[in-house]
Amino acid sequence: MSDTDYPEETYAGRVLDADLHLFDRQVLDVDGEPAFAVDDIEISDVPIGLPLDPAAPAPVIESLLSGPVLATRTFGGRPPSSRLERIPWRHVSDIGTALTLGIHSDELDATWTERWVRDRIIGRIPGGRHDPE
Amino acid sequence: MKKLLGLALGILTAIGGFLDIGDLVTNGVVGSRFGLTLGWVVLVGVVGICLFAQMSGRVAAVSGRATFEIIRERLGARASMANLGASFIVNLMTLTAEIGGIALSLQLASSISPMLWMPVAAVAVWIVVWRVKFSIMENVTGLLGLTLIVFAVAVFLLHPNWLDLGSQLLGQAPKQSSESPATYWYYAIALFGAAMTPYEVFFFSSGAVEEKWTVKDLAQSRMNVLVGFPLGGILSIAIAACATIVLLPKNIAVTSLSEIALPIAQAGGKIALIIVLLGFVAATFGAALETTLSSGYTLAQYFGWSWGKFRRPARAARFHLTMIIALIIGLAVLATGVDPIAVTEFSVVFSAIALPLTYLPILIVANDPQYMGKFVNGKATNFFGMIYLVIILVASLAAIPLMIVTGAGA
Repeated sequence: MSDTDYPEETYAGRVLDADLHLFDRQVLDVDGEPAFAVDDIEISDVPIGLPLDPAAPAPVIESLLSGPVLATRTFGGRPPSSRLERIPWRHVSDIGTALTLGIHSDELDATWTERWVRDRIIGRIPGGRHDPE
Repeated sequence: MKKLLGLALGILTAIGGFLDIGDLVTNGVVGSRFGLTLGWVVLVGVVGICLFAQMSGRVAAVSGRATFEIIRERLGARASMANLGASFIVNLMTLTAEIGGIALSLQLASSISPMLWMPVAAVAVWIVVWRVKFSIMENVTGLLGLTLIVFAVAVFLLHPNWLDLGSQLLGQAPKQSSESPATYWYYAIALFGAAMTPYEVFFFSSGAVEEKWTVKDLAQSRMNVLVGFPLGGILSIAIAACATIVLLPKNIAVTSLSEIALPIAQAGGKIALIIVLLGFVAATFGAALETTLSSGYTLAQYFGWSWGKFRRPARAARFHLTMIIALIIGLAVLATGVDPIAVTEFSVVFSAIALPLTYLPILIVANDPQYMGKFVNGKATNFFGMIYLVIILVASLAAIPLMIVTGAGA
């Protein structure tokens, strides 16, 4: 494909390369606390095997994925859609050297392992809920 | 005045924190077998660790991203998972060696079996990681580690033949030594791995985030590294020199920490011995803290978990759980009765093998203006960075063949 094949319209905002700017980036929550890493992304359906309708709207990023999807991305295969840990794209408020969310990481389903370890193990050990001295 | 004090403190802790069980053992072994003929490797290693520690600290201060986040971001999920596996295992080996080293040092001081000291050491490390503030931890172990300067003093007290030592530094093999070239190069790689252990950059860059460095702190961090590490390197050579003067002529092999302390006892008697034992405990304890934290840093940064000692443990739960598990695994390995010195000797060689995976991504990101803005690498840094990448790659590729050929340096 030569350069001229690209659509010539100009876009408002930034052009992002998913591979370079999204995949494997750290995601911080609204307080700057690390929440998760972008293990994969989910875009709206593109019909596979059919000729593309030029008038159809371009696919958009629907959600960031984190958790078990990393294993299938690394070793191959595809988890069933119901098993994906989704973080809706609308929560993303900024994209820099890390992605920033507009909500607390504790509000996300995807960070349940952190809460589980906190409530069952770390929070129960004496001193676990105090600042270091 | 306060600034000057901060600078002095930073440099002193960098000297004290430079040495760990890997440096102590490898330099002792090398000195007792090869004299100072491998001194140049320490020099090459120190320049390398200065270059890359400084680079990873700069990346962390400017972009706020620690080394393993960058490794994942640049190498992608798959390659960086292989890297994580390798780095984590090498780090676990180093952690095991350091815990064993604390126990061996305490055994020298108390003559209580190291098997009894190991759980004590692991619990002490955990308590510090669990409760003590990062800056206090750094400064106390670093300053106590400074007592290892006694090795440099001992070299003078032993009245060596300076001409001999000098000619060995320039490559003249000592008369008593009859080692093959393969073992020579095997130990060259071990020394290089001991000086450039990957956990040092994981710890250094994560420490920059822990202490909330900004661009303003760059000048001081550069001073700490560029002055502190070379002085630490001189101590490494002093350890080898002590072994060269006392152990090499009598054909004494280094099989435990007591042989490494022997020249000190000969040079300075009981008081010097007490000082050096304090130094052993401080150096191994400090490094055990750094490797324990590094096990948490690498895993948490790869998976994007919350991490850091500046948070309360409940706010970085998986990070703290990782460290607890790493300590338990280290203890379990030691409980099998393996010789901690042997674990140390293998850990430095495996460090050398894992080096390219760690240092390449740092070099790439330090050149990325999206991360670094105007603080990207200068031409000189890149020139030396590329040279070191080649050295690191050669050492990494040669390590396993040499290990097989020499029977792990036997």
